[in-house]
Amino acid sequence: MSLDYTPSELMAAAGARELQDHQVVAVGLGLPVVATFLAKQTHAPNMTILFELGVINPEPIHTGVGLADPRVWYRAQVLSSFVDILGTILHKGRVDVGFLGGLEVDQYGNLNTTLIGDPRAKFRHMVGSGGANDIASCARKTIIIMRHEARKLKKAVSFVTSPGYIAGGDSRSQAGLWGGPSRVITDKAIFGFHPETKQMMLLSIHPGNKLDDVLATMGFAPVVPPQVPYTEPPTNEQVRLIREVIDPQRMYMG
Amino acid sequence: MTKVTTLAEAVASIPSGAHVALSGFAITRCTMAFAREVIRQGIKGLTISQCVGAMDADLLVGAGAVDRLIYGGGSLDRFGRLACVNRGIEEGTLIAEEYSSLSITFRYLAGSLGLPFIPIRSLRGSDLMKRLQEQDASQIALVGDPFTGDQWLALRPLLPDVAVIQVQVADEEGNAWILGPRWDNVEQAKSSQRTIVIAEQIVSTDLIRQNAERTVIPGFLVSHVVELPFAAHPTSVYRSYDYDAEQIEEYVAATQSPENFRAYLDRYVYGVKDHWEYLERVGGMRRLSSLRADETLGY
Repeated sequence: MSLDYTPSELMAAAGARELQDHQVVAVGLGLPVVATFLAKQTHAPNMTILFELGVINPEPIHTGVGLADPRVWYRAQVLSSFVDILGTILHKGRVDVGFLGGLEVDQYGNLNTTLIGDPRAKFRHMVGSGGANDIASCARKTIIIMRHEARKLKKAVSFVTSPGYIAGGDSRSQAGLWGGPSRVITDKAIFGFHPETKQMMLLSIHPGNKLDDVLATMGFAPVVPPQVPYTEPPTNEQVRLIREVIDPQRMYMG
Repeated sequence: MTKVTTLAEAVASIPSGAHVALSGFAITRCTMAFAREVIRQGIKGLTISQCVGAMDADLLVGAGAVDRLIYGGGSLDRFGRLACVNRGIEEGTLIAEEYSSLSITFRYLAGSLGLPFIPIRSLRGSDLMKRLQEQDASQIALVGDPFTGDQWLALRPLLPDVAVIQVQVADEEGNAWILGPRWDNVEQAKSSQRTIVIAEQIVSTDLIRQNAERTVIPGFLVSHVVELPFAAHPTSVYRSYDYDAEQIEEYVAATQSPENFRAYLDRYVYGVKDHWEYLERVGGMRRLSSLRADETLGY
């Protein structure tokens, strides 16, 4: 393990650990890209990486400003379309893992990327769904990556852009959806979801953080098991790959 | 028969109030020269649709040319948000029908196939669905699968009056190649009554015939072909030119207030006669040459 790492590097390594070889993974930009490329360059070389607009398995050598930047399409194996990627692969049910981020997430893993405020009165409109709702609805499971702040981890989100377990229990399958969020990775802790109630459940705390602080910086009380281990830190090799190979310009890891 | 014409004539074929599908995606292959000419000609009341909101739609909304936007959310990637679209939604001056990327694409796909509706897994259990159900003349409905009885969300097709598609290469008849990813552009063209192709370069029909597997928009769907270099500036065109980061940053800064945006329009839209004057205004050949794509990288 490495003693010299940032919270973002730990989050990327934790995201990578959730991915297995031969899986099909849909990603947006930012930390999820780092987590996915890290997995591909270590334990999951046969993973298939998808970008929604029509890109399969790119090998970028320059960092892009977003999915619309041809830098992130470089050396792709397929350049196609939304129907091809989000339709015949994601909607068909062939995406094993989708990565999602957001402005706000609630205790059931429902994500908001649409607006902040009261949707019936005064609000600020942000970016909306893009492919996020499609990934949340159609992937076999999703992993959510968020900053750990009370204003982001909320009891109720302003707007459900991308459904998690909706109102908990079996409400997601009642809505006709398979899958659902499996992990929420923050810069302080990792959460899963309670098998029955589907409430967010603390799985591990990152080294250097305390349980009291983790709970005090959330807008709701997660399920807390009697024993909560520390998150496994990234290895020296993972930190080296992130810094030297995957994100040398530190665009994603900020 | 040649369909080659000027940008001004192609734009003049679009009546106020038309539904126009635009090919832009965030900051790439946006129909920027087209949008600037629409604004100069004073065309109003448009319905704009695209699967990911982009800079072309934002400029048109900011200039007051759009009444309704049908889109899947969007941004200018790391440069910023669609500030004009967002302001219109917040102030209630823009009717926005907000979907996800795939649900917009499926609506174009249904239109392309001549289907009356298309079922989709997306949107269910979200506030996007609730909002769309509440809208007048809602375009979505829950229906039963006639074979299994399972419940599905059905979407009505999108049938734009015209698709405006920025491409790299086309011939005089409108047979067009899109290099790189095509997002929803082919379904946009096929669901629309007709298509206007804006090409960086017009090539001979012989070249198209020798490489016909690259043709993604067949010419018979196309009403006008406009040859216009750097027509997507300041956004990128894969294998032709990179985005102009300074110009996009200037746009984003201008969209932060209506007064600054008005000054932006005066300088880059109303203050120039046509696309050629625009290219001079943003720095001419010296600037544009620096954006040329590297042959192996594509950007």
